Amino acid sequence: MVLFLQLILDGLASGAIYGALALALVLIYRATHIVNFGQGEMATFSAYLAWQLCEWGVPVALSLLIVAILSFGLGVGVFWLVVRPIYRAPSATVAVLTLGLFVIFGAVCLWIWGAEQQQFPAIFPDMGWTLGGVRVTANMLGLIATLCVLAIILACVFRFTRFGLAMRASAAEPENSALVGLRVERMLTLGWGLAAVVGFLAAVLIAPHLFLSPSMMVPVLIYALASATLGGWDSPMGAIAGGLMIGVAESLGATFLPFIGAELRLCIPIAVALVVLLACPAGLFGRKAVIRV
Amino acid sequence: MSNLLQPKSHVILGTVFLIAAFAALPALLSSFLLFQVSLVLTYAMAGLGLNLLLGFSGQVCLAQGAFFACGAYTTAILNTRYGIDPLLTLPISTFVTALVGVAIGLPALRLPGLQLAIVTFGIAAIVPQLILKLGDFTGGVTGLNMDVPVPPTWFFGDQEAWLYYLCAAGAGLCVLVMRRLVRGDTGRTLRALRDNTLIAQSMGIDLTRTRLAVFAISSGFAGLGGGLYAILNGFISPQSFLASKSIDILVGTIIGGASSISGAFIGAVFVVFVPDWASEISPALGALIYGLCLIGMMLLAREGVVGLAIKGVRHLAAARDLQQSKQRSPAPNAAIGEEIRP
Repeated sequence: MVLFLQLILDGLASGAIYGALALALVLIYRATHIVNFGQGEMATFSAYLAWQLCEWGVPVALSLLIVAILSFGLGVGVFWLVVRPIYRAPSATVAVLTLGLFVIFGAVCLWIWGAEQQQFPAIFPDMGWTLGGVRVTANMLGLIATLCVLAIILACVFRFTRFGLAMRASAAEPENSALVGLRVERMLTLGWGLAAVVGFLAAVLIAPHLFLSPSMMVPVLIYALASATLGGWDSPMGAIAGGLMIGVAESLGATFLPFIGAELRLCIPIAVALVVLLACPAGLFGRKAVIRV
Repeated sequence: MSNLLQPKSHVILGTVFLIAAFAALPALLSSFLLFQVSLVLTYAMAGLGLNLLLGFSGQVCLAQGAFFACGAYTTAILNTRYGIDPLLTLPISTFVTALVGVAIGLPALRLPGLQLAIVTFGIAAIVPQLILKLGDFTGGVTGLNMDVPVPPTWFFGDQEAWLYYLCAAGAGLCVLVMRRLVRGDTGRTLRALRDNTLIAQSMGIDLTRTRLAVFAISSGFAGLGGGLYAILNGFISPQSFLASKSIDILVGTIIGGASSISGAFIGAVFVVFVPDWASEISPALGALIYGLCLIGMMLLAREGVVGLAIKGVRHLAAARDLQQSKQRSPAPNAAIGEEIRP
């Protein structure tokens, strides 16, 4: 029982990271109906920038702040430079394009910083408590708390501000929004920038665990894709819930399913995604698309 | 403009010329270069499969390398464990890989959208680990050593030439199947589904079944290519099937042109030769070129190199037509038509 609780807690902590990256994916998907396969590698690139600043002696908090702003610029730049010209093209074309982003950012990180793993500074203090046999660390709590805060902020922005309303409107009805005077493309650009910042956050949260390396985010991206599929691609809260569920499923599955073990834990999100697509294609929290013929 | 009068003779002449060129290669190339050309042919088979899927049905499969591995390991396991002749294993590998494709496609292909890309992205990443985990069957890190197929007694050339002709025959078979599919009814069905799923469905086309069939054939091509790859190398290990292999095949397809058959071969040449050359300069350069190619091709030339060439020739022909009509001389159609045929 203690092991079970411990595994659930571990799963929630890593699920928070998957949820954060899934949130970034969903933000972009809602705005432009694009699955950004490059999201994880863009986040890795930002994390490398932050690490580099820390290496140069900038305080951790300050460098995170600077790089968060830079990441926003990165997202905006990528959207304007390569995505905006063709984001209305068939989905397969855009998918190939974002895969190109995936390959390019991976290659750039490898080119600049090499393949060696780097130690990323820890964000949360290194302490922990044992409650009834279950080990709770500040890191776990920090991860879950960060995700909760992020979710609440985004929910409030989308729900209660004029800006959030404009974002939702231009994602849902681009043509009608343009007709009532919204700058739709500006909203989409902001969506890409925001997603890059959220992705950066996910990378910063996981980097102290995994060590920083050019391919650090590839498995995380797979978990996040599965989380978004599970939660429904058009639901930010679904992405977060999906991330937490995938995290728990992974942690339990890797321990209790003898065939899976530690090496094949990547199978779990894929299996979950396949089952979701088979049973309930819109995801748990997504809306079924209705098409007028 | 086009050559409605005598398309047949051109096609036949071109085909004969191509076959003759392919048949003559072993006499012209060194044995290492011939090996690399054979390698190109195996990649081209997987690329043809992806072509069918991406260019004619608008779906992205990012696990073509995984299917390639599936075919290669089926062939190798059947040969090393059960002693089946390598050539006889090829139909089995093709079929097994197609079945695996169906198993993955069944959930992922029911919806319009990118579910297949999302699922196959994960599958591409898991395959190397899966091969290691199934070490009892696959030989784990040490890999599998296969029998090399001996050329039959009537064959005139050496070992390398025999392997090359096998690969060429496999690729030729794939091209024939693909041409049969793309022309005529099936091709129109596929294009209708790709261009407007909704209308196609209202006309009575079964979306899931058609896509699933295409995906099965596409995976089957990759399986056949993989089987030949295993035979060609005589040895396979997880190292040959890293996740990047799927990206390689995708890059080849995109560069060649996703809706042209010759594009698959041009793309395969690119992915076999360019990374070799690039890795001599820097390990990251190959990936950088790949990424730039993917993005650049999507932004500038979605139909790939072949599409660009066709467009260029049409442009020239149109300019020539214009000039000729200005001079008020009768346009010799056949001469222009020759250039238009890709």
